[in-house]
Amino acid sequence: MQHQSVLENWLRGIALALIVLFFMFPIFWILLMSLQTNETILRSPPSMVFSPTLSNYQAIFAGRLDSNAASLDIRFLGNLWNSIILSVGSVGVALLFGVPAAYAFARYKFRGSEDIAFTLLSFRFAPPLLVLLPLTSYFQTLGIADTYFGLIWVYQLICLPLILWIVRGYFEDIPADVEHAYRIAGHGWFATFRNIALPLARPGIAAAGLLAFIFAWNNFIFALVLASADKQPVTVGALAFVTASGIQYGQIAAAVVLSIAPTLALALYAQRYLVEGLSLGAVKG
Amino acid sequence: MHEKERDLVSAFMRGEMDRRELIRGLGALGVTAGTAGTLLNMAATKAMAADFDWMKHSGKSIKILLNKHPYTDALLANLDNFKSMTGMEVAYDIFPEDVYFDKVTAALSSRSSEYDAFMVGAYMTWTYGPAGWIVDHNEWIMDSDKTNPAYNWTDMIEGVRKSCAWNGRPGGALGSDDAMQWCVPWGYEQNNLSYNAAMLENSGIGIPNNLDELMEAAAKVQADNEGIYGIGVRGSRSWATIHPGFLSAYSNLGEVDLNVSADGKLSAAMNTDASKEFHAKWVKMIQDSGAADWSSHTWYQVGTDLGAGKSAIIYDADILGYFMNGGENAMAGQLAYAPFAASGNGAPTPNIWIWSLSMSKFSRDLDATWYFMQWATGTEHALFGARNMDFVNPVRQSVWDDPMFRDRIAQSYPGYVEMHDVSAPGAAIKFTAQPLFFDLTTEWAASLQKMVANEVPVDEGLDQLAESVNRQLNEAGLG
Amino acid sequence: MTGRSHRFGLSPRFEKISEVQHKGIRAGRISREVLPYLLSLPALLVCIGILIPFGTAIWYSLQRYRLSQPWNRGMNWGENYLNFLSEPDFWNTLQVSLVYAGLTVVLELLLGLGIALLLRRRTRLNNFISVILLMPLMTAPVLAALMFKLMTNPNFGILSYFMQLAGFEDFRWGSDPSTALFTVILVDIWVYTPFMMILLLAGLRSLPPQPFEAAALDGVPRWQQFWRITLPMLMPYVLTASLFRLLDSIQQFDIIYALTQGGPGDTLMVFQVEAYLNFFQSTNIGRSAALLIILWAITFVLSNMFVKNWLRLRERARGEI
Repeated sequence: MQHQSVLENWLRGIALALIVLFFMFPIFWILLMSLQTNETILRSPPSMVFSPTLSNYQAIFAGRLDSNAASLDIRFLGNLWNSIILSVGSVGVALLFGVPAAYAFARYKFRGSEDIAFTLLSFRFAPPLLVLLPLTSYFQTLGIADTYFGLIWVYQLICLPLILWIVRGYFEDIPADVEHAYRIAGHGWFATFRNIALPLARPGIAAAGLLAFIFAWNNFIFALVLASADKQPVTVGALAFVTASGIQYGQIAAAVVLSIAPTLALALYAQRYLVEGLSLGAVKG
Repeated sequence: MHEKERDLVSAFMRGEMDRRELIRGLGALGVTAGTAGTLLNMAATKAMAADFDWMKHSGKSIKILLNKHPYTDALLANLDNFKSMTGMEVAYDIFPEDVYFDKVTAALSSRSSEYDAFMVGAYMTWTYGPAGWIVDHNEWIMDSDKTNPAYNWTDMIEGVRKSCAWNGRPGGALGSDDAMQWCVPWGYEQNNLSYNAAMLENSGIGIPNNLDELMEAAAKVQADNEGIYGIGVRGSRSWATIHPGFLSAYSNLGEVDLNVSADGKLSAAMNTDASKEFHAKWVKMIQDSGAADWSSHTWYQVGTDLGAGKSAIIYDADILGYFMNGGENAMAGQLAYAPFAASGNGAPTPNIWIWSLSMSKFSRDLDATWYFMQWATGTEHALFGARNMDFVNPVRQSVWDDPMFRDRIAQSYPGYVEMHDVSAPGAAIKFTAQPLFFDLTTEWAASLQKMVANEVPVDEGLDQLAESVNRQLNEAGLG
Repeated sequence: MTGRSHRFGLSPRFEKISEVQHKGIRAGRISREVLPYLLSLPALLVCIGILIPFGTAIWYSLQRYRLSQPWNRGMNWGENYLNFLSEPDFWNTLQVSLVYAGLTVVLELLLGLGIALLLRRRTRLNNFISVILLMPLMTAPVLAALMFKLMTNPNFGILSYFMQLAGFEDFRWGSDPSTALFTVILVDIWVYTPFMMILLLAGLRSLPPQPFEAAALDGVPRWQQFWRITLPMLMPYVLTASLFRLLDSIQQFDIIYALTQGGPGDTLMVFQVEAYLNFFQSTNIGRSAALLIILWAITFVLSNMFVKNWLRLRERARGEI
C-alpha cells in the first residue's frame, strides 16, 4: 500500500466522520424523538437534554391513542404482525418455488431457458402499478382480495426474481463434477440436489432470502393498493398513523422506530450475507 | 341493565321525570352521564320499535366501511342498541382518511359485495352514482313498508338533503325534481371562521366581516402575536383544498366554477376578472399570513395549529374549530366562532362537506342494509350522538332545536350554535355537479400552489387552468 | 467454491453419463428432458398470473375509460397516447421523472464512489463503517420519507433548525416548489447511496493488484492512477449499479407519495404518482394505464441494457476468480 501523509489521513478521517454522521443522524434523531414527550419535542431550539420516557411505546403497545380529536384504537401492533406474516410467507414461497427453478436454469440448458429466466427477472423491473391496478378487480373475482394468500402471491413479484437470479449464480458456481461424482455413486437426482447442491449454495440462498425478506418488509405500494385495514403492513400503517395520531409526534417516531428495527437488526446480524446479496452475485469480492 | 336503572329510565320515558332528574338519579346509582345517554337511548330505541317491525331482518348480517372519524366513534358507541333492536349483526372496517376513499373506490370499482354500505361524501357520489355503484335511496326513503314512520326525512336540513341529490346530468342542479338521492346525509360541516379570541383581542381587532377585513386581520394578528401565523386554510395538492373556505368565499362573491350552457355543455368559469381579483387576494393572504408549509396543509394541520395556538384564525370547517376547543388542545376553551360572508353583504353562503352514508349496489341484501341506514341516519341516533358524543354538526333540524343539545354546545362552545343558525339557510354545495370533479379541483389546487409560490402570475395561472379544464371537459365529451 | 465451472448446461462428460443413467439405471424416473421444466414450472405459474393483468393494462390503455362515465367507455385505440403529445401535464411528468432519476443516480454514484474509495482498504474500521452505512438501505423508503418529514417540520424539525442556523430563515423543504425536488432527492440519496457504495466497494476490492503495483513502481501520481487505472477497470460496475438505480429511480413512488403526493403544484408528479392519482382519484383508468405503459416501455429498454451489462460482469468476475 502507498504511503499516506498525515494530512491525508486527517482529511480521510474527517470525510468518513461526516459521511457516518449524515447517514446515521436521522436514525439517531428519530430514536431520540421516540423517547420524548410532545412537550420536549416542540421545544425551540431543539435540544438533546431531556428525561427519556417510554410512554410513546407504551401507547403503541397498549393499542390506544389519545389524540386531540378523539381517542382511538390503533392497530399498529397488528400492522407489525402483518409485516411479519407477509414477509416470512413471501420469502418462504419464493424459496420453495425459486430455488428449484434456479437450479434448473443453472444446470440444464433447455429450450427457452434463457428467455424464461429473463422474463422472470424483468418482472422485477416492471412498474408495479401496471400490474397492481388491474389486479384490484381480478382479486375480487378470484375471491382472494383481502387475503394473505393474495398479497403473498403479489409479493412474489419482488421476491421470486431476486431469489431466482442470485441463487442461480451460486448453483452455476458449483462444479458440475462434484454433483456428477455423487450421482455416479448411485444417488438419484433429488438426493444430489438435496445433499450436494443445496448445502454448497447455502450462502447464496441465505443472502437472497435475507434480501428478499428486507425488500418485502420495506415494500409499500403493493399493500397500499391491495391490502385492507386488517392486512396492512407497517409501511402503510405508519403513513396512516400520521393522520390518526395527529400531533403526537413522539408516537409517530416510536412507530417508525418499531417499523425499521426488525430490518436493521437483521442487517447487522447477517451483514456478510447481505453484502453478498446486495452485490447481486455479480462480484465475488 | 339493573332493575333500578331501568325503572328510572322508564319513568323518564313515561314523562314522569325530566332529563336532569333522570341523569341525577342515574348518577346516584353510579352511572356516568355518557352511559346514561346510552341507556336512555336504548329506551328511546325501544319506544321507536313499537310502530315498526324492526325484527324483520333478524339474524342477518351486514358489513360497513367507515372512515376514522368522531362520527364513527359515536356510531360504534351506540351500535349495540341497533343490534339488539333488530337482531342483526353489523361488522365493519375502519380506515384512516388518507387512504379511505382509495379503498372505497377500489372496493366498488371491483364490484365487491363485501361492504353493504359505507361512509361517503356528496362529491364522491358524483363519480359513484353515474358509475352505477350506489343506489338511488329514494326508492327506500319513500317506501313506507321499508322505512319506519318516525324516520321523518324532511327533518333533514333542506340545503344538506338536496346537496346529496343529483339527476346525474353534468351540470344538473342539485336537488332537482328528477334527482336521485345518491346518499343520505349523516353529519356536515359549514365553512366559517374559528378564531383565537385572545390573540385577536391582543391586536385590538374585531371579527372580520369581509374578505378584505379578513386579510387585514390575519396580517395584523400575525404581526402582533409572537410565533404564530395569521390564517389557517388548506393547501395540499388535493380537491380538499378548494372546497372549504376557498370555495365558500368564491361563491359568496358570486363566482362559479363552471358555466353550464343552455344545451348542457360545461366550460371553465374561473378566469373571469372578478375571479382573478379574488384569487389574487386569496394568494396574497396566504403569502402574507398563511402557514410556512401551507402547501402541505390538510384539514388536520389547519385544525392542529389552531388548537396548539400556532395560528390565530382558520377559515375552514366549523367542526374543526369545535374539536380544537375541547380535548387536550392547548387552546381548549379559548376559541370563538363567527359566520363569514366574503362579500360583506347579506348572509353567509358556506360551501359544505357532508359525511353521508350510501348503500352499495353490490350489496346482497339492500332491504336489510336499509334498516341499518335508517337507524344510523334517524333522529334517535342523531340525538344520541349530538347530546353525548361529538356527532356534530347534526343534519337534522330537530336536533338543532333540541334544548339539551343546544345547552351543551352553548356551555362549552359559546357562539357555535348562533354561527350555525345564521349560516345554515345559505349552506349548500356550491360546485357544479359533474363527473370530472376530482380532476378539475385537484388541478385547481395545483394552480393555487403555483400562484402562492410565485411560479406563475395569478392571471396567467387562471387562464392556463381554464384552458386545461376546457380541454379535459371536451375530451370527456362534456364541453 | 473455487475452480472454474461451466456457466450453462452440464459438462459434456456429465451429460453423456447422465444419458447413460437415464437409459439404464434411471429408466422410469423423471425424464431429463422434462425435469428442468418441472422444476421451473411453479415459479412460472406464479408469474403467469402476473402477465394477465399486464395484458389487461394494455387493453385499458387503448380505451376511453373513466369509471365516472361508464356510458362513454369504448375503444379509442391510440387516442390516450396521442393526447399526451399535446398535454403539458404529460411532458411535465416525463421531465420530472427523468430529472429525478438522472439527478439521484448521478449524485448517488458520485457519493457512493467517493465513500467506496475511502473504505477501499480492508481494515476493521472500514468494514465496520461499511456495515453500519447499510442501515439506511434497510430502512423502508416510505418510512425514511416519514423520518425526514418529522425532521423538516417547520415547528420543531431539527433540519429546519439547522437551516435557520445556516441563515436560511424560511427554508420550507417539501412545501415549496423550489426546494421540494431537493428534499425528495435528499431522502433518495440517504436511502440508496449505500447501495451504490456496497456494489462499487465490492468491485474495487475485486480489482487485481498488479496494475496498481506496476503504476506505483513507474511513479504514476495517485490521482492519475484513479483516472487511468481504477476508473476504467471499475467501469462495468459503475455502469451496472447506475442502470440498476436508474430503473428503480425512474419508477419512484414511495418517497414522493409519502412526502408530498406529487405537489406542490406539479413539481413532483412522476409517472407512478400521477398514474396512482389518475386511477384512484380521477378514476380515469384509460389515461392511468397509458401512462404506465409508457413508463414500462422506458424501463424495458433500460432493463435490457442492465441485464446485458450484469451478465457480462458476472462472467468477468468468474473468469478472475
